[in-house]
Amino acid sequence: MKLLTHNMLTSKCLKGVNVGYPLGIVAKDIKVLETEFNSEFVLRIIPKLDWDTLWNAADSIGHSGDLPRTLCDDYENDVEFLKKAHHVLLEVEVINGELVCPESGRKFAINKGIPNMLLNEDEL
Amino acid sequence: MAENKYERKARRKQTKAKHILFQDTGISCSDEPTKYVMVANAGLVTGLQQEQLLELCLPYGGVDGIVMLPGKSYCFIIFKDILYASKAYAAIHGKIKLTPNDSGPLYLAYAEKVPELSHSWNYDQKPPGLILLEEFVTEDEEKSLLNCIDWKTSASHLGQTLKHRRVKHYGYEFQYDTNNVDKECPLSENIPSECNFLWDRLKDKNISVLSSFPTQLTVNHYQPGQGIPSHVDTHSAFKDPILSLSLGSSIVMEFRHQDGRVSPVILPQRSLLIMSEEARYAWSHGITPRKMDVIPTKNGDLTVQQRGDRTSFTFRFIRKGECNCVYHDLCDSYKKKYKKSEADTNCDAVAAKLESLHVHEVYEEIASHFSETRHKPWPNVLSFVQSLPFGSVLVDVGCGNCKYFGNKMGHFEIGCDHSVSLAKVCHDRGFEVFNCNCLSLPLKSGIADGCLSIAVIHHLATKERRLQAVEEMVRILQPGGKALIYVWAKDQQRHNTQSSYLKQDRKNRKKDCDGELKCVPQHADGSKSRNTILNKVSSQFPSLPVHTNRTQFQHQDLLVPWKRKPGQKIELDNKTEGALCLENSSQELPTFYRYYHVFEEGELELLCSCVKDSKVVQSYYDQGNWCIVLERV
Repeated sequence: MKLLTHNMLTSKCLKGVNVGYPLGIVAKDIKVLETEFNSEFVLRIIPKLDWDTLWNAADSIGHSGDLPRTLCDDYENDVEFLKKAHHVLLEVEVINGELVCPESGRKFAINKGIPNMLLNEDEL
Repeated sequence: MAENKYERKARRKQTKAKHILFQDTGISCSDEPTKYVMVANAGLVTGLQQEQLLELCLPYGGVDGIVMLPGKSYCFIIFKDILYASKAYAAIHGKIKLTPNDSGPLYLAYAEKVPELSHSWNYDQKPPGLILLEEFVTEDEEKSLLNCIDWKTSASHLGQTLKHRRVKHYGYEFQYDTNNVDKECPLSENIPSECNFLWDRLKDKNISVLSSFPTQLTVNHYQPGQGIPSHVDTHSAFKDPILSLSLGSSIVMEFRHQDGRVSPVILPQRSLLIMSEEARYAWSHGITPRKMDVIPTKNGDLTVQQRGDRTSFTFRFIRKGECNCVYHDLCDSYKKKYKKSEADTNCDAVAAKLESLHVHEVYEEIASHFSETRHKPWPNVLSFVQSLPFGSVLVDVGCGNCKYFGNKMGHFEIGCDHSVSLAKVCHDRGFEVFNCNCLSLPLKSGIADGCLSIAVIHHLATKERRLQAVEEMVRILQPGGKALIYVWAKDQQRHNTQSSYLKQDRKNRKKDCDGELKCVPQHADGSKSRNTILNKVSSQFPSLPVHTNRTQFQHQDLLVPWKRKPGQKIELDNKTEGALCLENSSQELPTFYRYYHVFEEGELELLCSCVKDSKVVQSYYDQGNWCIVLERV
């Protein structure tokens, strides 16, 4: 699970959970895999993000590096920043661990990079 | 003195009745006069009305009661005194007919006592919540109210003469076919202003049942002999209370509870009846069609009261929304809610079970084989994906092996699938993927620019679930975002062309030359049918037909077999290993049965038209599939 995916996941589908966002991360295995950097792509993706959630997620698994906590105004022209964002969004992957619902504490396993968000019948 | 033939007949009848009474109730008859007089040949079964009998007996003296037994052709009169009883006996027995049309006279006998009724009529106990205000209006006011009803202007359907009475509505029309009002459609005629003084009078009397003014009025005109069947005013139509003003004549209204209790309530002329709480919700009320009523006198005995022309003003309060009273037995709102949710839950649980057994479990089993056979993307799906702008977030719901990912279009691609095995395949191929059920996507709203649902929602077993899946996709789209939905079409050939699904059968390819595919009709015993055999594979869902691959669909909901081809290199999935022997011939390779709901023409469009915040921008048929492009608005 890349942190970009994490940025979109919620546990709102759980019965009784109102927001279910952001999910906590308990990372047991993390893999960093280099992927091709495309500044235009990162530029298009950043406006879709919840930056706080991204930063906190990266920080919670020890990969925030020197990524700024808040987006600066002219990040479009800051290639170094975009590279850092690219790294955190697309190169850091949680292989094994758990996602944790912020309201109910329900844990979703991450096995071999795949979050299991399947619910039991009584959780719907 | 010798008996004449009439006296002999009377004695014979009497003896027979005595015998029956003893057999039925153990009560003996007496040769000496008692105050209990049995009527041998008139009762509930013969259609006797107690007021008829009472009218007949009263000239001979006071009557305390009349006892009529359900299902019996006899009854009892309880006189106040033995003297009255003997007078009546002497005058009536064997001599007087109850009505001139009767074939013979009444036969009587003295009984030692009368049987006890489990639920007798009780004038003393009114249903809880019933308030009767006598002399609520003066005679002048009564006249003014009666005069303000213009029956002539109601020559239309608004002033109907029903079978048993004349009726007119104000404010809203009460519809007798649905027992409800059309709350969206008020009448032009409001409740006459002549009625307004009634509400101040209620206040003056410190009766605080009204929180607002009534919004609906029904005026009923009853002639003697007319009535209204027992009913409860529809809970969802009207609030608590219901008010009824009796003008012109008194009448007896009967209240009935489901437990059998009956409470006759005398509604005197110019009285106001307030039905609230239990009396409004848990008791039905009606007026028996007859010309006179039996009522108790001040002494406690019974008398008859002739009915005159009565006009009732029934004031009601239109209810907005549903009733949430605690009297569930007669509550339509409760029944609607309870029944619906019970049926829905039940239906939903069955659907979930079917999907679990014949979709999810099967895909787990066949995942690797499925993935091997699913590598060629469909061109039209591919061009949809390619139409999404650079930098788009694309979510494939039910991604299978992610065959639409990896196009280097500058999209962020996320796949999700119920199958853990298929998700592994995707991850191994380097794609972002997670497991979930398409009925509730664990994704934030508005995050996707494009959404794929290729051959997914035809695996959902109810319309509600298919709708929910589409709604979820629309939810995760941002405004302007598009979803592409493919479902299997029931019709596998359009415009004389077979779908590629049919063409994969060599036999069908030959038939294509004839222009039309000939379907082998289904045989009742299923033995020779090529298209459908009786389902012997699902013990849980024995009624689902099994489809024969590469043929036209015969049903909309069915099981489609998944077979491994003989000679194929098989990587066994864990669970099937024990059940499968590699040396086995092709027939013994395991077959899995997937549940499908195949779509009729127009069905997918209809489904999508029910989804809020979206519009259908494209709809087409593609190789045996119905396809829709839906845009979030």
